[in-house]
Order: sequence, then structure tokens, then C-alpha cells
Amino acid sequence: MDFYLGLLQIIGVHTLLGLSAYVVLLTGQVSMAQAGFYAIGAYVAAMCTAMFGFHILPAILVAGFLTAAVACVVGFPALRVKGLMLVVATLAFGEMVRLFFFNFTWQVERGGELIGPNGAEGFRAIRFFPENGWEIWHVTGFIWIVVAVVMGALWWIDNTRAGAVLRAVGHDETAAQSIGLNLTAVKVGAMTLGGMIAGMGGGIYAHTVTHIEHLVFGVLLATFAIAYPILGGLGSVFGTLIAVIFIQGFLVEGLRFLGDWRSLLFGALIVLAMNFRPTGLLGERMPRIFKRRTGEKLELKEAE
Amino acid sequence: MKLSTLVTASVLALAAAPVVAADKTINIAGFGASSGVVGIFGQNSGAAMAAAVEKINAEGGVTLADGSKAMLATEFYDDRCNAEEGISVLRRIASTDALVAVGPTCSNVAEPLFGILQAKVDDAGDTGLQFPVFTDVAIKGGLAGISEWVFRNTPSEATMYDNLFAWIRETHPDAKTIYGGVEEDFAHSRFTWYSVMKTAAEAHGFEVVGEAQWLLNDTNFSNQARGMRRAEPDVVAISAHPFTTCGMLREMDRQRIEPKVLVGLTSSSSLETLTGCANEAEGIIIPTSFAPVNDEAKAAAAAVEAKGGQLDLHSASAWENIMILKDVIEAAGIEGTAESLEEDRRKIRDGLATLTEAPGLLGANKRMPDGEAVKPYVFVNAESGNWEVLHNPGS
Repeated sequence: MDFYLGLLQIIGVHTLLGLSAYVVLLTGQVSMAQAGFYAIGAYVAAMCTAMFGFHILPAILVAGFLTAAVACVVGFPALRVKGLMLVVATLAFGEMVRLFFFNFTWQVERGGELIGPNGAEGFRAIRFFPENGWEIWHVTGFIWIVVAVVMGALWWIDNTRAGAVLRAVGHDETAAQSIGLNLTAVKVGAMTLGGMIAGMGGGIYAHTVTHIEHLVFGVLLATFAIAYPILGGLGSVFGTLIAVIFIQGFLVEGLRFLGDWRSLLFGALIVLAMNFRPTGLLGERMPRIFKRRTGEKLELKEAE
Repeated sequence: MKLSTLVTASVLALAAAPVVAADKTINIAGFGASSGVVGIFGQNSGAAMAAAVEKINAEGGVTLADGSKAMLATEFYDDRCNAEEGISVLRRIASTDALVAVGPTCSNVAEPLFGILQAKVDDAGDTGLQFPVFTDVAIKGGLAGISEWVFRNTPSEATMYDNLFAWIRETHPDAKTIYGGVEEDFAHSRFTWYSVMKTAAEAHGFEVVGEAQWLLNDTNFSNQARGMRRAEPDVVAISAHPFTTCGMLREMDRQRIEPKVLVGLTSSSSLETLTGCANEAEGIIIPTSFAPVNDEAKAAAAAVEAKGGQLDLHSASAWENIMILKDVIEAAGIEGTAESLEEDRRKIRDGLATLTEAPGLLGANKRMPDGEAVKPYVFVNAESGNWEVLHNPGS
């Protein structure tokens, strides 16, 4: 049972990472900075609990808000460019963050031991969960409450004017600008929200693995972050969740027995999935069941 | 007629009893990187474990608490040298009937993995996983101290390099300066240069005249080699895995850098280095806890080769771990039933914790109170495409 709960933890944390990229992708921007935001969240939340004795909840909130602030600052100059230039710019930011933590050392003494980031050696003993009596199902429950809150919030945004604005910018910037939308504000807003979600995800990740180091937050993680929503489809938040389950649950864990062939099959299955479902596993549109409910609500509003 | 049937049935049942007992299986799981850049380490460990298990089973298996015999079984899980996957793999192993796990390969997996285990045994306030892990490959110093459920059979690099530099000082009195080359982004290689090699070299009077850094995925070493050439060091120490060690050695050869002594990282005393750059690696000296220097080591190497692997200092530990675990299983009174699984795992842990000495392929391994080991070692050097023993400090 613990194994499946552990797997649910991985899926939950990666869903947050994917959702952070999903928000930015809605505005038509491809950001490779999500791994960098994830790293900032991981280190900040870990420092809060391991070095300063915070509870996990304020720790991930601090991580989320701080990462959001960084994402906002990064968003302004980065979003002046678009397309491939933005990919390069955000990739450079992600690498800059990774190399910052590669060189970042700040340790304090707690219980006779030095705790904190130690450059390339990483950050050890982020043991809030086991040290505070959290059983594995507590941790899994906590992660999925956070995932549910984030998904719920994004679902709500998607069904409000804000969601329509994000999608309008994503579909056609010129048309969006012509109806008076402030493109910079929309894009930076999406980047900030994405940064916050990635920061919270990173904060939780650090506590599930107990040790983090710069290598984890490289280009591969950034690629996974954008692969989840693209593979799942941008129709709704559920596409990202489905893609994470497909990749982490099936391709990574389910095919482990294949050994060396797993990596080969991994790529082949993703290519195959994208060929059969070019707009993502759930497509670009919202699943019919949710659409019907949303449609009913809209009809009710119109009737009122 | 009925009586004869009864007697026959009784005799058959009695005869079958030991067979039924021998049908018991004790599972020991292996895990590590068996795919990816460092996949060869995991593949060798898997082969070494399989060969050791086969040898034990051929000799009758292990004796359980009730005196019955059980066969050993092993299965190897791939974690791709990824921390998240390593944790998932260990949780999966813990959900099977395996009594103990041997692994992982990578230190960057070992560190988080050991962190999810209960730090202190019997600490009711710590909900970490309670499962014994007996590490064979992940060699970065001091990791066993993270949890009392962790034991390592990896050599002490601090001891080995300290003695190596003492020996170099003695045999090359004219060598005064050293230049370090380090694969900066790999936990083991970085730790070994900055905390082990450099410290040992300085302690034995070598002056560090420079350091060159590169990354695991680097393929161009010209700048690093240029800095090295300018410094004209007497000794060059390369703390990197076979793939970039070969890259650097080729560049050193191209730029005609010829130090008096060339020192390598323990993990590079493997077949990969010789396959990748036998000519350029000629003369490189590496301390290692395995070399086929006696009959037992030679037999083990042959058995592992028959399983498709190679025995080096890492996979030799995997072989030794299985042999040590056999002794622990027999001494600890393992019952080997589904009901006694948790208790058996604890017995294995306690059994490993009480060991002060364990048999190894090069001689007795000292078991330390913190779960680490101090193993016998030799200095090998690359000579005509083979690793040859240059010096045996224990002889």
C-alpha cells in the first residue's frame, strides 16, 4: 500500500509542476523556467522547515509567494520576447537558478548538526514529515488537498472572464490587443501564477524526497513540466493530470520491468500519443461532461 | 493393502518434507541504475548478486530458524540514478516479501533514499520507513549515518587515498606539486576531490597548484587541460567517472601533459575506463577494494562474468553483501514466513548492526558502529589494457 501512496505523492507533485506550465501555456507562451521556479520553491520551503522550524503549510506558502514574486520580476523582461526566443530566455533563467543553487551554501546549526543548502552537495535532512509523525497517507492526503485546491482554483479561473482573457491572448495576441487587453499584464499575471504553483510544488517535492540538489532541477525537469499540459491537452486542468498519470504512473513506474527498453519505449509512446492525439490526450476543448455543466450555468445566468 | 498404502503415503510424505522446506525462498532485492549513463554499474551489481545467490543455492541455500533450508532469490530494480525513482523503487521493494535491499548505485539517490528511512531505530516519533538497506555501490563518504537502517559495504576512500598519497610520497620523493581535475556536478566525484583526495595530498606535503572542473556531460576538456599544462604539476589527480576521465585523459594526451604520477577515482578502476581509453589511461594509479588477487576473488570474477557482468570494486561489494547476508540470516534465526516478515527484517538489521567483522574477497572487512565498512584494498594501475596490482598495502 505504501508503494501506491508513494506513487500518488509523485503524481501529485508532478501535477503541480505541470499545472504551473499549463497556466503559462494558456497565454500561448512556452516557458522553460518552471524547473527554476520549482527549485526556488524547493529550497525556500526546505530552509523554512529544516533551518527555521516552520510548519509545512506556512513553509510552502512562503515558497509559493516568494517564487511568484521572482516569476513576476522575471516575467516582465522575459515576456518582451516570444516563441523560440522566449524558450531560450526562460531556459537560460532555469539554468541560472540551477547554477545559483549549485554554488549556494548557507548552513545553520540545529541539534549539533549543520543544516541547510551546501552547494553541489545539496540540501540534506529535510525531514519535516517523518520527524513530526506524519504517516505516508497523511503526506499523500496533504499533497492531494493542495493539488485539489490548485486545480479547483484554476478550474474556476478557466470558467471566469480571467480564463477567457488568458485563452484569448493565447489564441490571437493581435485580436486580444485590439479589444483592449493588456498583453503584458495578462502574460506576466500568468507567469506569476505559474511561478506560485511551481514554487508550492517544489516545496512539497523537497519534503517528500528529504534531500535536494541542483541536478534535479535541470532541462529534463523543465521539459517534463511543459510536456504534461501539452500531452494532456489545454482544454482543461484535467488534461495535465491525465498526462502525469500516463507518464509517471504508466511509462515510468508501470514499465519499470522492461529495464533498458523502458527509456526507448518511453519516447516512442509519447510520440505515438502525440500522433494519435495531436491536441493532447483530452484535446483542446473541455471534456463534454464539464462543458455541459458550465454551459447550463451560463444559460441560467443568461435567463436571469 | 490399505496398510501398505498408508505406509507408502507416510514414507512419501516424510521424504517430501525436506523438499517442502527447501521450497521456502528468502528474497533479497537489488536496486540501482541499470540503465542510463551509469547503467553499467547497476548491471554489474545485478550480475554479481545473481552469481552469489546461485553459488549459495548450489551449496544448499540458507538455514532458517527451524533448521529447514531455504533458497535465496534476487530481483534487480532499475532506478535510473534518479532520486524520486529510487524512493519509489524502495517503497515497492518494501511492499514485497524481500527481507533486505542491496543498493543503490548513485550517491545522489542514496542520500534522499536514506532520508526517508527511520533515522533512529525504535524512535516512535519518527515515521520513516523501517526497512534494512545494505549498500554496495553508492560510495560518497558518511552516508550510512543518515539512518540506523542503513549499512554500507563500500570502501573507505579517506583511508585508501590517505595511504595512496603516503605511498606516492615515499616512492616519488621528487614529486612536489599536484593538480586536481574534478567532475563537479556528481556527488561522489566532487566529494572525493574536495574532501578526500585534496586533503590527503596536502597532508602528505603536496602543494595544490590548480584545479580544473568539468561536468558529467562535458565532452570538451581543452581549457581544463590547458590550465593543467601551464601549471606543470608532478601529480595529476582526476576525480571523475570513466566517461569524462577518458575525455580528459585524451585531451591531456593531445596536449602532451605527462605528469610523473597520475591518480584516478575509485569508480574508474573498471572495465569501462580500459574500454574507453586504455592507451591514454596507461599508468593511472587507483586504490580499489577489489582485484582478482586470490583464488576466491578469481572464482567470484569468473562467476559474475558468466552472468554477463564484470567484478570491480562496486560489484564485488554486491557479491560480498549477499555472502554477508547469508551469514546474518543464519545467525539471526530468520523464520522466512509471511507472518514473520517485519520481525525478520528487524532481525536482519540488528544482525548487520552487531557485526564487527565480515568476510570479503580481499580479506576481512571491518564493520564500523556507524554502519560503514573499512575494507582491505590494493593499488592498481592500468597496464597494457589491464588492471594490474601495483602495491598491496596489506601484504
